[in-house]
Amino acid sequence: MDGTGGTRIDAGAPEPDHRPNPPFAELRAISKSFLGVVANDAVDLDLRSGEVHALLGENGAGKSTLCSILAGLYRQDSGAIVIDGQIHSFHSPRDALAVGVGMVYQHFRLVDPFTVAENLALGHPDARRRLSATALETQAAALAERYQMPLDPKARIWELSVGEQQRVEIMKLLHRGVRILILDEPTAVLTPQECETLFRAVRAMREDGKVIVFVSHKLREVLDVSDRVTVLRGGRRVGHLATKDADGRGLAAMMVGRSLVLPERTDDADPGQVVLKVEDLQVQGDRGNPAVRRVSLEVRSGETVGVAGVAGNGQRELTETIVGLRTPRSGRVTLNGRDVTRASVVDRITHGLSYIPEDRLHVGVAAGLPLEDNLVLKSYRSRRFSKGPVLSSRAVRAWADELATRFDIRGARGLPIGLLSGGNLQRAIIARELSQRPEVLIAASPTRGLDVGATESVRRVLLDQRSQGTGILLLSEDLDELEALCDRILVIYEGAIVGEVTAGVFDAGRVGLMMAGHAVA
Amino acid sequence: MRARRLAVEPRGRPSLVSRIVFPLASVIGAGVLGAILLIATGHDPVDAYLEVLRSGFGSDLTIVRTLISATPLILTGVAAAVAFRMKIWNIGAEGQLYLGAIAASGVALAVGESLPTMPAVALSLAAGATAGAVWASLAALPRAYLHTDEVISTLMLNFVALHLMNYLIFGSVSFWRDTERLSFPSGRFIPETAELPEIWLRLHAGIVIAVIVALFVWWVLRFSTWGFGVRVIGDSPATARYAGFGVSRRIVSILAVSGAIAGLAGAVQIAGTSHALQPGGLAVNLGYTGIVIAAVSRLNPLAIVPVSILIAGLTNAGTALQAQGVPNDLLVLLQGLALLLVAAAEFFLANRVRIVTRPLPTLETAEAA
Repeated sequence: MDGTGGTRIDAGAPEPDHRPNPPFAELRAISKSFLGVVANDAVDLDLRSGEVHALLGENGAGKSTLCSILAGLYRQDSGAIVIDGQIHSFHSPRDALAVGVGMVYQHFRLVDPFTVAENLALGHPDARRRLSATALETQAAALAERYQMPLDPKARIWELSVGEQQRVEIMKLLHRGVRILILDEPTAVLTPQECETLFRAVRAMREDGKVIVFVSHKLREVLDVSDRVTVLRGGRRVGHLATKDADGRGLAAMMVGRSLVLPERTDDADPGQVVLKVEDLQVQGDRGNPAVRRVSLEVRSGETVGVAGVAGNGQRELTETIVGLRTPRSGRVTLNGRDVTRASVVDRITHGLSYIPEDRLHVGVAAGLPLEDNLVLKSYRSRRFSKGPVLSSRAVRAWADELATRFDIRGARGLPIGLLSGGNLQRAIIARELSQRPEVLIAASPTRGLDVGATESVRRVLLDQRSQGTGILLLSEDLDELEALCDRILVIYEGAIVGEVTAGVFDAGRVGLMMAGHAVA
Repeated sequence: MRARRLAVEPRGRPSLVSRIVFPLASVIGAGVLGAILLIATGHDPVDAYLEVLRSGFGSDLTIVRTLISATPLILTGVAAAVAFRMKIWNIGAEGQLYLGAIAASGVALAVGESLPTMPAVALSLAAGATAGAVWASLAALPRAYLHTDEVISTLMLNFVALHLMNYLIFGSVSFWRDTERLSFPSGRFIPETAELPEIWLRLHAGIVIAVIVALFVWWVLRFSTWGFGVRVIGDSPATARYAGFGVSRRIVSILAVSGAIAGLAGAVQIAGTSHALQPGGLAVNLGYTGIVIAAVSRLNPLAIVPVSILIAGLTNAGTALQAQGVPNDLLVLLQGLALLLVAAAEFFLANRVRIVTRPLPTLETAEAA
């Protein structure tokens, strides 16, 4: 009937063999919509064995939907999945795995207290029989060796870094003998070093004849790692070409539907007085570890100071201490000449401190509440929005309309803001933070995970704000971005500032080395 | 070839029609299922349902009885809902109600005689609410500042409260106990000045208090800055902290408010119904039933009022049906069915379920697409 194992093409149907170099797997005219919103509109994708096929597109272009259909998580409304010349109808990821299609999702599906080897056994068809731990560990070690993915098979998942956990996910699929590996935005969570390891593994898998579907919106890595590119925009396929024939500018234009150049700082800073001063700050991390070690820094009005560092080197603790979410062990934070080391979060907000947090969905917004509520999160008590204890929903709605126009936030009112795309979410957060007319703005990885179009608008807003005289502290791992926006860049490593670079003499290699903890003269 | 399957998709916002049709359908569905059950066990469903209507809502007297039973349920329902809105799981309305009853009767016994009616009643109700709030704070403070689990602490405090109340009446010669009566231990009756006035037949003014509380809480949650804080913290405590809300302080205050409303329920029972601390009459799961009512009402205080009246009517009708030979277990089953179907209606209101029949794609149709 609706055979999950695939249906042999009827004798009458044309045999696919007459084509030269037949594709190994094909998605034909896949369409899918959610609640009437079209996510995929007759998208074609052909995959050949031994290739890295990049799926490029902005957030919301339909990449994840297409991959989820190929991996059996969603079912297409129309269109067909053809693998090895057979039409397949996947009812679940299990069906897809049975014919060798597997996906590594952005959010990992691992069991924390289990070891790497034990996670390999989960869901494995052989798992019902007795499994030998040693055999699994040997197999895991062999896979790690073969695909150059350093990993200890006996390590427990919670002990591993994000990059290592991703390797376990990939290894799980390889262990199941998957032929098509879908990696959904695999580099979004990785440090630059971990990215290199991933790319090495991807190349090793390609040598082995596997197909790797590499989902990304980062042009540079697509050009770096892929053999062919399929570009999606608004749910449609707008381009497919060999990577060697592609260039960054052309792909970007295809992706956003117009040509664009990311904005950069053009003038030198005209710094005014010091608006944020951090002196000899020491902060403990969540486990009582010294997370910030004797950090001192100054931000003047009208300048952007960057903090470069690999995630987890004390940036979070530093920003949380500056905004008042964490109490330092020693040291001082001064805002506009006022000592705010012990001041409350609200106190700092009212004295001109704004903060764009790194975790947009869980910290930056209340995801279940609508846009209008989220825009007044910090100002709802002001006379503009409330009279005594009564909140004026009319004033709140009017304000939301005004900010939505000013900051180009697209999305229906009344629906949870968590349903908005990453770019719209970030524009909403920025709208709220900047509408406070801040004197100091802390921005933590403000363009992380955003597509080119949204990155462009965020960068522009930050540059505008700088020229209006706000002092900005920008924490990021993205050296291109720091170089484009900052007047000075501090490098943080293991909680301490280990170097400073001024805009004129920026050297990415040198900063990269400092970020990795190498002493640079 | 055709494939048939169920497709479940979330609806955007349910239309007004479906908001009315689905709850109605669930009530009718519960009736039909219940009828099948009644027939299967050899009862006449028409008779039984008529009896339910008659003995739950059939006459002035039964309506009064139903409203009196609904009064504490409205209050405990609102008590649960207000805390649940902030995702603070106060399971302790039961115990907070006992404490409210103990404090209200204590104050009424102590000062009721020396005061005119209005101040005596007000003082006794205020004492009940305060005691409920204090009792809830025993769980709230460690929850807010030490991150203990409020589900366990509020639940455990219910048993402490129950035993405290039993001790006052059964285990000691306390201030609350009626020492003149030598038969079954019982609470001392409060002075008449501390009794809630009757507004219609035997219906005391408690129902008015309960409805006003429900309306007020609904308004506060929806239109006040305090309610805005409840929404934000309920949705994401991390975001609330980031935006400068005093989350710990608000956890204490919401549990205190919830406890105060539950304590008020106990005080209203004393001042309106029992007029004495009677553990047997108070320990009838009013607090736990309030949790069920809050859940069925989707934490909406306005919906809690009719749902409480319905549940109270069904419960009272149950007693009458038992007299007709319908066993109590069957009645509990019928109530369960009704609640289950209301929950199902909720699901269908939020999701659209379709049976999709369509040909499996073939190479030809795929290419034609």
